[in-house]
Amino acid sequence: MQEVALESAINSIRVRFGSQALTRAAALPPPQPWSSGTAVDRLTGIGGLPKGRLSLLTGSGTSGKLSVALSLLARATHEFAHAMVIDGGGFDPWMLTSYSPEPGALTVVRAPAPEVAGEAAAMLARAGAGFILLLGEVPEHWLGPLESGANRSGTVLVGVVDAPDRALAHASSFSLGFARQDWIWERGQLVGLRVTARCVKNRVAPPLGETELEIRYPLGTQTLTDHRIQVTEVVQELEPCASAVV
Amino acid sequence: MRICCGLTRHLELARRPDLYGRPVIVGRWDEHVVAASEETLPFGVTPGMAMRQAEHLCPQATFVLPDEEATDRICELISAALYDLAPVVQVRVEGIAWLDTSGVVAAGTSIRDARHLLLKAIGREPRLGLAPGPFSARLAAARARPGHLLRVADAREFLAPLPSRELPLDAEQLERLDLLGLRTLGAVAAIGPRELESQLGRDGRHAVLLARGLEPDQLDAWRPPLFTSAHRQFEEPVDDREALLFVARGLCSDLADELGLRGAGAKQVRVRLELESAAPETRESVVRHPLSSTAELFGLIGAWIKEWLPRAPITELWIELPVLEGAGRRQLRLWAGGDGSSEEVTAALERLQERFGEEVISGSPHSWGGGGAAAAMSTR
Repeated sequence: MQEVALESAINSIRVRFGSQALTRAAALPPPQPWSSGTAVDRLTGIGGLPKGRLSLLTGSGTSGKLSVALSLLARATHEFAHAMVIDGGGFDPWMLTSYSPEPGALTVVRAPAPEVAGEAAAMLARAGAGFILLLGEVPEHWLGPLESGANRSGTVLVGVVDAPDRALAHASSFSLGFARQDWIWERGQLVGLRVTARCVKNRVAPPLGETELEIRYPLGTQTLTDHRIQVTEVVQELEPCASAVV
Repeated sequence: MRICCGLTRHLELARRPDLYGRPVIVGRWDEHVVAASEETLPFGVTPGMAMRQAEHLCPQATFVLPDEEATDRICELISAALYDLAPVVQVRVEGIAWLDTSGVVAAGTSIRDARHLLLKAIGREPRLGLAPGPFSARLAAARARPGHLLRVADAREFLAPLPSRELPLDAEQLERLDLLGLRTLGAVAAIGPRELESQLGRDGRHAVLLARGLEPDQLDAWRPPLFTSAHRQFEEPVDDREALLFVARGLCSDLADELGLRGAGAKQVRVRLELESAAPETRESVVRHPLSSTAELFGLIGAWIKEWLPRAPITELWIELPVLEGAGRRQLRLWAGGDGSSEEVTAALERLQERFGEEVISGSPHSWGGGGAAAAMSTR
């Protein structure tokens, strides 16, 4: 009798809120990776950023998170029909030109307020945009629609924030913390920075420790990928370590 | 042009997978053999021979009556599934499937997927051939091992040593070719089209072009049907809105599956309620952006049903999609990016512009020069 009542309740929820509103755990698909060809892939533990989930790149200013995010975005413009930037302020699209993006696939949404950013991100994730880069915070009440929309469509969601609030941190499935080690100078000129990228949260695989990246600023017509990135393995006591090349 | 051909069993045989591995002959009594399984070949049974003769040659075979309707349905399903992999496909009940892979971004993936689809549909590994045209592709497939692909770069060179019996001519014409000493396609290709035309008529000219690998025939491209519908008749008249919503969602799911298979989207939606003691009630709408998923269809239809006040209990629910959009635009897997929802994304961007103003959306710096987002979006 209880089973009948339970089945009836399940059917009722599905009728009211859609078939995806209630899913049995056995029917949930494993996270699918999007291989970005950057060091981030190794750190996720599944070979790429998880599709349909929110990944966060965090760290204080000039820690290299935006450079990595832009290289992800440039790569996404080549691989997806739609790569979106939800810009909460401060995104200059000319920054991206050094990374050789595919211009036809890039769309920038200027969000004058976090509310607009949240609505736009949720709407585009639900519509099935291939890649969304969130620059800035998203209001807490938009995180649910954003997660479920991306989950249904398989959108790769990447957020870049200095320090995420608790709701955003909780909503993310994968979080990478960046910290600057030192600047790189050549012939008296600043050419890049050395950073540590550490996996601080991973819901899709066991955490894979950290890696050191050498990020060279794009100079002239050269792009980030033209430069050889020095990689140093960092031995961790508790977690396995990863090394990679951007 | 690069045509991939998959050869598998006659679709009449595919109807009865329970008989795989046994000699099976399909045909009506007093008529001709429609299809025969490979197991009957050693006994000399071939399609087209009289059924009585086939029975005499292979009495232990299982004889099955043909079902053209079911075979056509299988053919339709396979065509619809293959249509997701290439813009031009043709499937014949004889067990031949062609895909035109010209211009397909990942042709190798499409061919691999076509192999899996045919294996799933028929239950046997197809033989695959890739050649410049349908004729050479079919002959290449016939010479490939099951589950393998035979690629042909130069059709004329490949066809030259093959027997002229492979040409689509009737028995009398083939015998005439034999009498003329034209026993290979190379020999047929060597003579002029007019010479053979004088012997065999127009078929002779056609045969020479085929033998030369010039591929005069085009594929008869399959196109998805332009109308589809689903309905449910209730045993007891229904006046419960929740039940109606539940049934509507199920119908939307069925329609979405069908649309997805056909690579189509609905441009017009009509819902009809048959009532117990009143005239039917209908509601319909033309939608701006084609609907193809369950969520999209139910989003519209569910909203109608929630506010619908029928005059009497409902005996039957009909959901009709009278106008489907040009299917080529919905061949989702042909998108290079794999996120084939361009129209939905564009629609979402347009909605954002309507809500927050045009300046909220812009393209990349390269598309900012003229027209902003509208220009950027229109180029997509």
